[in-house]
Amino acid sequence: MKKTLTGLVLLAIALSMPLRASADGDGFNDAVKLIEQFYHVKHQSIPLLARAGMKAATTAAKIRGGEYKKLAEAGSVRVVAFEDQTFDSHGQITKFRSELQQALSGNWSAFVQNLYPRTEEQDYIYVRDAGKNFHVLIIVIEKHDATVMQATVAPQTLAQLMKDPENTGKALMDEATISDP
Amino acid sequence: MQFVINTRLGELIMRILFRHLLTFAPVLLFVVTAHVVTTAQTAKLQLDQLDVLAGRASETVDVKLDEHLMQTTAKFFSGKDTDDAEIRDLLKNLKGIYVKSFEFEKENEYTPADLDSVVSQLRGGGWNKIVGITSKKDGENVDVYLLTLAGEIAGLAVVSTEPKELTVINIVGPVDLQKLSQLEGSFGVPVLNLPPPKKSDK
Repeated sequence: MKKTLTGLVLLAIALSMPLRASADGDGFNDAVKLIEQFYHVKHQSIPLLARAGMKAATTAAKIRGGEYKKLAEAGSVRVVAFEDQTFDSHGQITKFRSELQQALSGNWSAFVQNLYPRTEEQDYIYVRDAGKNFHVLIIVIEKHDATVMQATVAPQTLAQLMKDPENTGKALMDEATISDP
Repeated sequence: MQFVINTRLGELIMRILFRHLLTFAPVLLFVVTAHVVTTAQTAKLQLDQLDVLAGRASETVDVKLDEHLMQTTAKFFSGKDTDDAEIRDLLKNLKGIYVKSFEFEKENEYTPADLDSVVSQLRGGGWNKIVGITSKKDGENVDVYLLTLAGEIAGLAVVSTEPKELTVINIVGPVDLQKLSQLEGSFGVPVLNLPPPKKSDK
């Protein structure tokens, strides 16, 4: 009986291995890996100085007496950039879209997907539950640059994103990447 | 004696019936559940067949807002702002907003056959065309369909075709033309410039 049980447990572990190897379910890393594999490019992490710039923007706004309304929850932003590289799908932009959908099919919901095959531009907004908050994954691919950003947002921010995906998505992306010395 | 035989026969019949009922219970349950699910899902159109057009289009927009996301966010539209209060009231009963839009470089890059999968779902099954606009000059057509189930509006669909553009909007839940106009320009719903609704369209 013990042998049978041990065998069953080992079989279950063995069966679950290939699934784990194909996608770690993280979403952010899956998207970055897929971009690298599909477009044969390498990512760069956003420099620390640029991230420090975000702090500067907050402080500057506070000094001016203004209100700096942060969209992402503190410390939740993950950003990866691809700069000065070539993103040419060779007419297979919809294949990339399908592969991305497959890679994120676990618990992410595709909210917005925009494709412009002529200019090789694409942008995606994916959303998933994160307890009382939400994770938002934004992927922007252009001809020579790409950015992948994940952040945790409060439901109020998600509501704003639902209502105006274009502008709120851009604001989230700017908040995560643009430095303001 | 007769009574005993009848009782035994009755028991036998009951036992057989019970055994068969137990055997077929999961099947019966599946059939009933499938019917309920199908009825609930008729307002949600299958739009995935349109995805093939993305390969030919110069611009593709695909928006999916499911019930979970809508219900979670609806309560965060504050009642202070009139617009937000209206949106909150509108969203709280909706079960989904789905938009697929394709823009093409040249005319005739899509054919009416590409839309067959969508139009066939809108023929019958409770769907009724309530608005049909045809512009011969621009070649623009806009058809608005409403799904009514048990006397209640259960969904809305808009099929807009232009020589170089195709848009399908599917809103699941109690929504009419007036409410649709409130959603235009937000939640991924494009501005349609539909004529103001008549009383019978509501």
